Amino acid sequence: MRTSRLLIGAGKAVAVTALLFWSLFPIVFIVMSSLKPGQEIFAVPPVYVFTPTFEHYAALWSRWGVFFDGLLNSTIVTAGATALAVIASTCAGYIYSRGSGRFLNASVMFLIIVRLIPPIVVTLPLFPIVNAMGLNDTHIVLMVLYATFFVSLGTVLMRTFIDQIPRELDEAAEIDGAGRLTILRRVIVPLAAPGILAVAVFVVVFAWNEFLFAFIFTATRAKTAPLVISEMIGSIDGVDWGVLFAASTVQLAPVLLFVVLMNRYLVAGLTAGATKG
Amino acid sequence: MAELRLQGVRKTFGAAEIIKGVDIDIADGEFVVFVGPSGCGKSTLLRMVAGLEDISAGDLLIDGKRCNAMEPRERGIAMVFQSYALYPHLSVYDNMSFGLTLNRTPKAEIDARVRDAARILKLEPLLERRPAQLSGGQRQRVAIGRAIVRKPTVFLFDEPLSNLDAALRMDMRMEIARLHRQLGATMIYVTHDQVEAMTLADKIVVLDGGRVQQVGAPIDLYKKPANRFVAGFIGSPKMNFLDVRVTGVSGGVATVESPTVAPVPIGARGFSVGDRAVLGVRPQSLRREPGHGRDGTLRGTVSLVERLGAETIVSLDTASGERALAAIPQDEVFEAGSPVEFRFEPAAAHLFAA
Repeated sequence: MRTSRLLIGAGKAVAVTALLFWSLFPIVFIVMSSLKPGQEIFAVPPVYVFTPTFEHYAALWSRWGVFFDGLLNSTIVTAGATALAVIASTCAGYIYSRGSGRFLNASVMFLIIVRLIPPIVVTLPLFPIVNAMGLNDTHIVLMVLYATFFVSLGTVLMRTFIDQIPRELDEAAEIDGAGRLTILRRVIVPLAAPGILAVAVFVVVFAWNEFLFAFIFTATRAKTAPLVISEMIGSIDGVDWGVLFAASTVQLAPVLLFVVLMNRYLVAGLTAGATKG
Repeated sequence: MAELRLQGVRKTFGAAEIIKGVDIDIADGEFVVFVGPSGCGKSTLLRMVAGLEDISAGDLLIDGKRCNAMEPRERGIAMVFQSYALYPHLSVYDNMSFGLTLNRTPKAEIDARVRDAARILKLEPLLERRPAQLSGGQRQRVAIGRAIVRKPTVFLFDEPLSNLDAALRMDMRMEIARLHRQLGATMIYVTHDQVEAMTLADKIVVLDGGRVQQVGAPIDLYKKPANRFVAGFIGSPKMNFLDVRVTGVSGGVATVESPTVAPVPIGARGFSVGDRAVLGVRPQSLRREPGHGRDGTLRGTVSLVERLGAETIVSLDTASGERALAAIPQDEVFEAGSPVEFRFEPAAAHLFAA
């Protein structure tokens, strides 16, 4: 009895350790490598004890100014895409939650199916259209694209959240003299805030890290940080691994911080509707 | 000041007709209770008055003005919901002031009105709390406060007390009655509880199957129910219904009898000899002692006795297989299985078509 419990405990510990190692190793490796002197980064056997140096960060700053332009672009695109996706998902989720009708019910299914199509299939044909509209290499095109990919999931998520807000609150507000938009703004949004944050986390993580569409639709002016990092790898005068790891660390930090801070809401978002509140 | 009039009001959901032509007049300052079993359409009717449901046909007039197409906020109404429907993210103060803030009432006036309502409802110490920090009764008072501050011409209550426990319900019932006296506003109150209807109403509207069964003062409904449904719905315990046969008719009086009921003359019109009918006798009309006039008698076997102290409820099985209740206004011992005979005054009995 006692040994079996001990065994289960040991098993759990091993599993958790493996999981932690699996998810933390790449992060730790990148961050540590960015602080190692150049020749020690890929030393065999690996060097675990070293004097941290910020030379790579200094080099990143002096030689790759374009990376920081990329970060600014990423920030603008991520903020815009998140705002767009959150607003659209909240409005749509509200209508899906409160409205009824055959068309509305059927279109939920469509929303989910659309999510299953590989985004690239829809996106490539967009290229000439985006070109014709003169939106190539602009922030707007990435904002709209990124937001679009998350509106379907975001809508379904927001509907689930708003479903949990009793309809009588809408009605009470209606009698209090509120119109639809006021109800949404003053009653629904404050109460669905955890859902809104959950949607925001999804979009932020996606938009911040996205590479493929940024590669297709931007060239110089709206180039995002992941593109600059890829350029570092393809650089003609050889890869400076230290600078690359420094850039990766800078790229990783804000989104990691954001996800850790929003962790609570993310879990709420993933389990929304699982049980009746 | 508000008079309210419903004229031929109907409500259909798809093919189903929920409200089948309702006409009601409500005078200014009147307390009207819509009562009926669940699914009778009383809440739907109230929501139509509120503007939360469309009116499929007919007219709703408030002070002579047709309101069918008006938004809820334009109708001068306030509503108290069964679930209270308080905004969980707002304080009690903000809950009450929400509507006033929306229509840009000056701050000073909002404050005065909220504090006034809080004083009337004894909510002053709770103004800064959130709804989650309140008890059920307090939440209900906040919901009423939210209605009061809007100074509506008509108050609508949708089963406001059914989420409260019995003791609190009685307190709140009295509080609402006091509020009506104090404010003098027109109030429409929906409930399935006939005790609330009897105690609160100036006028009761009994609904069943989407139709008005009877409108009248509570005591008139109790004493002169228009049909068997109203007779069975108003009064507790429920009125006894016994199958009888008409054996004689003369000048507005029908003599009826059954194996259980000795021949008795009942004031009723529209029956002829040989008709089958239903005799309605309230449990409170049944007594052991003989009266002075020609009493009716009801025979049966005691099957169950509930001694409540001040009252004894006797359940008896009749020879024709019916069940009847007698409410004796004192503590009395009955033996289960023993035969028993009750008397009633013919004037207190009712005769309905079978």
